[in-house]
Amino acid sequence: MIEKFEKIHSSGDFIELLKRSGNYPQQVLSGISNNKALEIPQGTTVLAFHYRDGIIVAGDRRATAGNSIMYDRCDKVIPIDDYSLMAIAGVPATAFEMARMLSHNFEYYRRSQLRAMSTEGKVRALSKLLKDNVAMALQGVGGVSPLFAIYDTQQEKAFLYFYDMLGAEFQILTHVATGSGSPMIKGILEHENLWGISSLGERSEEEATSLSIRLLQTAAQFDSATGQARPEDKLYPTIAKITKEGYQFIPDDEMATIYKSSMSRS
Amino acid sequence: MFEEPFRWMEAISTRHSYVREKLRKGQPVIGVPYNEGAVIIGFSPQPGKIFEIYDRIALGGLGHPADVERLRMTLLDMAHAEGFNRSSKDVTIERLLQFGLAPALKQNFEEIQRAPYLIQMLLAEINHEDGAEFFRVNYDGYWEKFKQGTVISGDKKVSERIQKKIDDTDFVSCTLNKSIQSALRIWEEGRKKPALEKESLKSTDDSDELDDEIEGHPTDLKEAFERWNLEVGILKKNTGRKCLYSTLSESEISALQSEVIR
Repeated sequence: MIEKFEKIHSSGDFIELLKRSGNYPQQVLSGISNNKALEIPQGTTVLAFHYRDGIIVAGDRRATAGNSIMYDRCDKVIPIDDYSLMAIAGVPATAFEMARMLSHNFEYYRRSQLRAMSTEGKVRALSKLLKDNVAMALQGVGGVSPLFAIYDTQQEKAFLYFYDMLGAEFQILTHVATGSGSPMIKGILEHENLWGISSLGERSEEEATSLSIRLLQTAAQFDSATGQARPEDKLYPTIAKITKEGYQFIPDDEMATIYKSSMSRS
Repeated sequence: MFEEPFRWMEAISTRHSYVREKLRKGQPVIGVPYNEGAVIIGFSPQPGKIFEIYDRIALGGLGHPADVERLRMTLLDMAHAEGFNRSSKDVTIERLLQFGLAPALKQNFEEIQRAPYLIQMLLAEINHEDGAEFFRVNYDGYWEKFKQGTVISGDKKVSERIQKKIDDTDFVSCTLNKSIQSALRIWEEGRKKPALEKESLKSTDDSDELDDEIEGHPTDLKEAFERWNLEVGILKKNTGRKCLYSTLSESEISALQSEVIR
């Protein structure tokens, strides 16, 4: 449990600690051929957009393996620290591990360096994890393409990023969606932003939440890997907001009311 | 010479004296519960006495700053590696001490060619049943657990006086503000030698025991607030967040100062 006392490793880098202690995950699996088609399994829909008070991040709950539905209560929107959230599309095992690693990385840095990591540092940290994972992605067993939402308390502003599986980061100023159901809703998001009742960035929390529910319901209508809400089983999408107060998930009882009103024509 | 048991024991005894002498000026750090968690307080000339270690664990240290830093980093490394590899629920002070820090500290202390750690530590934790627990760790790896709160201080007599007052106070039913204020009062009272003790010290000519006053360290809260920094680390349960640690801001400390000095 304890290693040598003599050295002080004070960079605040949790990944370096994992490597030093031999706990960093394997980056290439032997005996698996390359995934020449570069197909990334992404049976899901996650989306995020800027609204009046910050960013809303939403995801369906279904996890699939090929044509099989494996699980219907999967949480694809994951808190990383008090001011950041990650939404995952891709191979769940790798994505969950990345989220855990990122979470520990931010907290380890904050506690060891006695200050929070900068927003740029956090954005790059996820990019580095994805770069380290390229080999697994190319083998077709670990591809991940996440969304990352963060509130910068210094700049008092929320930022949203989309990553490709090689680790390139793209700052999103309006809206983004990823996963197999995303093509069905990207057009709707753009349409809503340009010609809806107001631009996405001007919408209230209630309007933003309601739109997220409708978008996920639409994606589920056309994409079998995206799960629909089932109010009779108290199964709703995961929706979280990130504002100057930090992240906050919409609780299930509140979701029941919002879902009901969102499903009626207004 | 160290092959001879007597000389080894003598060397260890000398090390104890050396470390105690070095720690003698270490200012008290007090850890007590309150109705929603635990709080650690301490005054020091320079900031850097109280730290967050993990989601539910805080550390207060006294001694050489480089040693405090080294052991703080060791605890951070152990806690985060364990929390990542298993679960945050597996990160407890007892495990960190019993299977990590304490044996290493003892070994270091008894390897007499190596410099000993000049440190005492107080660790506080909100356990997974939401109870507050406090731990005192000595430079030689010896550690103790307390439910009601505890103190570390370079001066053994100050430590004993403060511990007795902590044991006599019902902190668990106090609010955060009340707990901090009571702990500060205890800090102040603990530093004042009882009249009887002063007389007996003078008569035995044990002038070392009066050094605090001679060296001009603050002996009351007013002076301590004026000359030193107060650090307050709080572990608050039921916040809805996984990290329970927070600190008092400068403005909150100023408000506290006016209340306590008044």
